[in-house]
Amino acid sequence: MSTIARTLGNIRKIGLKEYWHQLNYIGDTKAGVLVGTDRFGNKFYENREELPLRTRWVDYAKHDYDAGHIEPLWHAWISYMVETPPNQDPIVTAAPNRPWAPKNHTPNLTFTRGAYKPYSTTKPKVQSWEPIAAPR
Amino acid sequence: MRPPTSINHIKHAVPIATGKIPLQLVSAGFNRAYSSGSERPSTARRPLPPRPVRPTTALSTERAPSSVVEYALTTLDALINWGRQGSLWPLTFGLACCGIEMMHASMPRYDQDRMGIIFRASPRQSDVMIVAGTVTNKMAPAVRLCYDQMPDPKWVISMGSCANGGGYYHYSYSVVRGVDRIIPVDVFVPGCPPTAEALLYAIFQLQRKMRRTKVTRMWYRK
Repeated sequence: MSTIARTLGNIRKIGLKEYWHQLNYIGDTKAGVLVGTDRFGNKFYENREELPLRTRWVDYAKHDYDAGHIEPLWHAWISYMVETPPNQDPIVTAAPNRPWAPKNHTPNLTFTRGAYKPYSTTKPKVQSWEPIAAPR
Repeated sequence: MRPPTSINHIKHAVPIATGKIPLQLVSAGFNRAYSSGSERPSTARRPLPPRPVRPTTALSTERAPSSVVEYALTTLDALINWGRQGSLWPLTFGLACCGIEMMHASMPRYDQDRMGIIFRASPRQSDVMIVAGTVTNKMAPAVRLCYDQMPDPKWVISMGSCANGGGYYHYSYSVVRGVDRIIPVDVFVPGCPPTAEALLYAIFQLQRKMRRTKVTRMWYRK
C-alpha cells in the first residue's frame, strides 16, 4: 500500500533522481535489492517487505519497453514461477548445458519488418462469382 | 554473426531476424581478400555496383519529423495517444471459457483498473472490443452490430483460438472461422484459452499500436 510515509522513506533510500526515473516508468516509488542485470541491461529488483506479487520488479533498459525484452529464465523468476533468480540458480549457472534452448533471445518483432506474416498455401475453396452475360 | 548486445528491436532486430549482412561489407571483404594475394584467379568476381543507401529505420513509416509543423503535430499526436492509452474501456464479448480468463484480468491479481481499463456493458461507451470465445453464425450479426455501435476510434482484440480462426470448432457447421471475417481485428491472442497474462500483453501491444498512430500527422499530410 502506498502511503506518504512509505513514499518519503523510499525517496530517502533511492534518491531524487531514481525517484523521478521510477515515476516515469514504474509509476510507484520502490526501494529494493538489485538482484541481477541481464545481458541486455534490464535490472531486476526485489524487496520482500512489499505486498505479495509486488515484491519483484524490473527496470527496463530501453525507453520503449516491452515485456518480451525479458529472457525466459528471468521471466520465470519475475513471474514467481521459481524462487531463485537465474544468476544464483545452481541448475542454470553450474550446468549451463541447454542445447535445446535458442542461443539468442528474440524480442517481439511485431511492428518491425521481422513481424510474422501468415500466408496460405492451400487453394481457396470458395471462388468468387464472375457474372458472364450471355449474348442475345 | 555477432550476438546481440542489446535488444534494439527497432534498428538491430531486422538484420538479426532476416540473417542479412549488408552487401557492401561483403563485397569490400571480397576485394581485399583477392587483391592482396598472389594466387588471385583471373576470373575473380568483379566488385558489385554500390547499392542504394537504405533508411536505417525498421519501417518506412517511421520517418523523423522534418518541419516545425511536423514537430508540433508529433507532440500533439503523443498527447492524443497518451490519452487513448490511459483509458481503454473494453466492451466485453465473453462468449466462452476465454471470458473467464478475461474476468481474471480484471480481478486483483492482474488488476487492470490500474491501467484505466474498466469493462463497460454498453458498446456505445467503449472503445475496444475483446472478442473472447467462439463466434457462432447465430452470434455473428450481434457481434457486427455491437462493433458498429461503438464510437470511433475503436479497436478489436481477438482472444483465443476460437475467435482467431475457429479453433477447435473450425470444421463445425455453425461456427464463424475467425472473427476477422466479420470485423477488423487489431490484436490476435493465441491460446486455448489464453492466460490472463496473455490478454494483458495483448493490451500492451494494442497500446503500442496506439502510440504509433499518426492522428494529426495523417490529417496534415492529406
